[in-house]
Amino acid sequence: MGCQSVCAAIFEAGLQSYYQRTPEGTLLAPPPEPPKDIEIYDFDEVQQEFVTSSGDLRDIHLLVEGIHCAACVWLIERKLQREPGVQSANVNLAAKRIHLRWDSKRTKLSDLIRALARIGYSVVPYDPENAEGAIKKANRSMLYRLFFAGFAMMNLIWISIALYSGANKGEFRDFFHWMGFALTTPTLLYAGYPFYRGAFGGLRAWRLTMDLPIAIGLSVTYAYSTYITVAKSNVGEVYFDTVTNLIFVILIGRYLEGMFRHQALSSTQRLMELQPRVATVILDGKEQITPTRGVKLGDHVLIKPGYKVPVDGVVLEGRSTIDESMLSGESVPVSKSAGAKVFAGTVNANGALLVEVNSTLQNTVLSKIIRLVEEAQSSKAPIQRLADSIVPWFVLVTITCATITFFIWNTENFELALMAATSVLIITCPCALGMATPMSIAVASGLGAKHGILVKNGLVLETLSKVTHFVFDKTGTLTEGKMSVAHRLIAPDIDEQDILRSAAAVERYSEHSAAKAIIAEAEANKLNYRDVTVQGFHATAGLGVQAEVNGDTVLLGSAEWLTQSGIPLNAELQAQAHELEAQAMSCVYCALGNVHVAVFALADKLRDDAQQLVNELRAAGIGMTLLSGDRKAVAEAVARQLGGMEVIAEVLPQDKDRVIQRLQQEGKVVAMVGDGINDAPALIRADVGIALGSGTDVSVESADIVLMHNGLDKVRLATLLSRRTLLTIKQNIGLSFVYNAIMVPLAMMAKINPLVAAITMPISSLVVIGNAARIRNLFKNEKS
Amino acid sequence: MDVIYTLIPGMTFMGLVFFAIMIWAVKRGQYEDMEGNASRILHDDDEDMMP
Repeated sequence: MGCQSVCAAIFEAGLQSYYQRTPEGTLLAPPPEPPKDIEIYDFDEVQQEFVTSSGDLRDIHLLVEGIHCAACVWLIERKLQREPGVQSANVNLAAKRIHLRWDSKRTKLSDLIRALARIGYSVVPYDPENAEGAIKKANRSMLYRLFFAGFAMMNLIWISIALYSGANKGEFRDFFHWMGFALTTPTLLYAGYPFYRGAFGGLRAWRLTMDLPIAIGLSVTYAYSTYITVAKSNVGEVYFDTVTNLIFVILIGRYLEGMFRHQALSSTQRLMELQPRVATVILDGKEQITPTRGVKLGDHVLIKPGYKVPVDGVVLEGRSTIDESMLSGESVPVSKSAGAKVFAGTVNANGALLVEVNSTLQNTVLSKIIRLVEEAQSSKAPIQRLADSIVPWFVLVTITCATITFFIWNTENFELALMAATSVLIITCPCALGMATPMSIAVASGLGAKHGILVKNGLVLETLSKVTHFVFDKTGTLTEGKMSVAHRLIAPDIDEQDILRSAAAVERYSEHSAAKAIIAEAEANKLNYRDVTVQGFHATAGLGVQAEVNGDTVLLGSAEWLTQSGIPLNAELQAQAHELEAQAMSCVYCALGNVHVAVFALADKLRDDAQQLVNELRAAGIGMTLLSGDRKAVAEAVARQLGGMEVIAEVLPQDKDRVIQRLQQEGKVVAMVGDGINDAPALIRADVGIALGSGTDVSVESADIVLMHNGLDKVRLATLLSRRTLLTIKQNIGLSFVYNAIMVPLAMMAKINPLVAAITMPISSLVVIGNAARIRNLFKNEKS
Repeated sequence: MDVIYTLIPGMTFMGLVFFAIMIWAVKRGQYEDMEGNASRILHDDDEDMMP
C-alpha cells in the first residue's frame, strides 16, 4: 500500500477536505505498513486483554502510527464514525491514541482496524493501565501540588502587598497575619511535602540533597512567621509569602523535569506486541486457532506465508524464507527447511511451515530481548547532572553561613539573629539553581523538535556533548537497509536495457528480496517491464527462478542454478563477479536463451549523509565502532567505504549490549545510533541512545533522541544543541552564584528585609529563564 | 473597612472552589491532548458534505 492508494481511499470516502486541513508545508510521510493478522483481534480471548466491555458494547484503546496533525484527528474520527456499529471514537493527538467504543454485534474490530489501514493509519490495541500508570500518576500529583501552591501564592501576594503598603501597622495586622497562616499551612503540608520527603530520604542515605536547604528554609521561615503571628510581636514581619513563592517556583522546575523523564515502560510494551497473540496448532490433523500462551512444548504449529512466527521451534515440514532482520539485523531473508530453527516474532515470507514448538512465551529469543531491555533499564546509572554535583557543597555552605550568622547576631538580639539566619537560608534558596537545568532543557527540546530532533529524555542533552565514542548499527542506520543493484555486468553484444527489462519482467513474480532490487533498478531506468509477457514461471527455493520471455528461456539465480541447468558460465563475467563478491556484494546470475549474459551485483547502499557524518566525527576526534549482526565481510566492506573504523560483526542482540558495556567500562561516554529491535538493549545501555525515525517502534521507544526524516546529519545538529544547552546550564549556575555572592553577605549582615527578598528572588529566576530562552537563536542559520 | 473580614475569606473560598474544578478537569483528562482538542473545535460537522 502506498500514498496513492491511501489518497484514493480518502477520496472514495468523500473525506477529501482532509487535504485542506493539513497545515501548509507538512510533509506527509508515506503511510506505515498495514498490520497483518488483525483477524486475531476478533477472538474474545485476545480482546479480553485490552477491552472493557459491557455486553456487546466494548471499549478499547488503540495506539496509532502515522498520525501527523489535527487533520488526522478529523479524518480518523470521521472515518470511524461512518462505520456501522461505532458508538464513539476519540483521538488523542498528543499521545497518538484512539479511544474507541463499538458494538461488537454489528461490526468486527478487525474491520475497523482495516478501515483505518486503508486511509494510512496502522493501529494496535494496548492496555493503558499497564503502559504508563506510575509515571502518569506521579506527574499528575505534581501538577495538583503545583496548582495548589500557585493558588495560595497568588492570594498571598495581595495580602503581602497590603502589609508592605502599611497594613502591618494598623488594626488589620493580625487579621492579615492569620490569613497568611491559614493559606500557608496547607500549602506547606501538601505542596511542600515532596521536599520534606526528599530531604529525609537524602539524610537517611547520608546525602545532602537540594531538598534539604529548601526544607530547612521553609520550616524555619514558616516557624518564625507563625511565632510572630501567634505572639503578636511588633518587631518582626511575617514571611508567609516567601514560603509559598518558593514552593511554587521550585515545583515548576520539578514539574518540567518530570516531563523529560524517560518513559521507559513503553518500549517493552512495544516488544510484547511483536509476539503474535494466536497460533494455528495442528491437533489430530485439524487446524485449531489457539492463543499463543496456550501453546505447549512439543505442539505442532502451522505458520502460513505472510504471518509472524508465534513461538520458537524447529521446522518439521515445508520450505520458506523468513525475515529475521528484527533479531539478527541481517537484511536478507534466511531460507528455512526441515530441521532449521525459527524464532518468535520473525516473519514467514513465502511458504507454509510446520513447526514443532521447543520454547514458549518466556523462553523465546524475543522474550530474552525483552528481558535484556528491562535489565538495561534498571541497571543504567542515572545521569549525573551538573547541578547535582554542585548541590551538596552548596547546601553545606548555605547551612554553615546560616549557623554562623545566627550565633554572631545571637550575642546581640535573639529575634534579629533568627531573622538574619532565616534570610540567609531563604535568599540562597536555590531557586535559580533549581531552574537552571530544567529551563535550559525545556527550551532546547522545543528547538530540537522544530529541527527534526526529538529529544525524549531531556537529561541526555547534557551528556551528548561529552560523548567520546559513537557506535553505529549497520543495516538501516548507516545503510538504507534494503538491497539495490550496485553493479550491472553485461556480456558484450548484449543490450543492457533489454536484459534488465526481461529480468525485471520475470522477477516480478518472485518474492525474493533480490527480485525487488532488480525491479527497483528497472523502474529507476524507466523500463516498461510490465507489458512483457512471461510464461511458465517457476522458482526453486535457494537457487533461482526460470521463465519464458518472448520464447527465450530466462534464468535468474545463483551461479549453481545456471550450471545445474547446463549453462556454461561466461568466464569474464564470473571473474568480475568474484571480485564483487569479495566486497561482500551478492551476485545474481542471468542467462538468456541458455547463454550466460549478465550478472547483477546487489548491495545495501550507504545512506547519503553517512559519509559526511563519519568524516565530521572523525575530524572531531571521536572514536567509532560499527556493530552489526550481519556477516563480517559485509560489515567490513561498509566500514572500508566510510574510511575505516572498528568493526564488530556477527553479534547477537545481547552482545551488542555487552559491547556498549565494555566501552563504558573503559571510561568512554558512548552514544549508540541504531534502528532495529535488536538494537533496543544497546540503545538503552548507551549513555545516549539515538534512533532513526524510520526505525522500529521498539528502537524509537528505547532511544533518548529520535532523528525524524532519517537525517543522519541531524546527529551533528543534536551535538551542537547539546553543547549549547550545557553552556547555558553552566551560565545559569554561574548567574545563580553571582546572585548568591551578592545577596548572602547582605543577608548575613541582617540588611535584607522581606521586601528586598520578595523582589530579588523572582528576578533571579527570571534571569535564568531569559538566559535559557536564548538557546532558541542557535539554529538561526540552519534551515528547519 | 470591616467588610474585609468577610471578603478575604470569601475570596479564598472561591479560589478553593476553582481549585477543585481544576482537579476535576485534570482527572477527566481535559489537559491530556492540548493540540487535538484545540483544533477539534474548528471541525464543522457538515463540512465534508459541502462541495
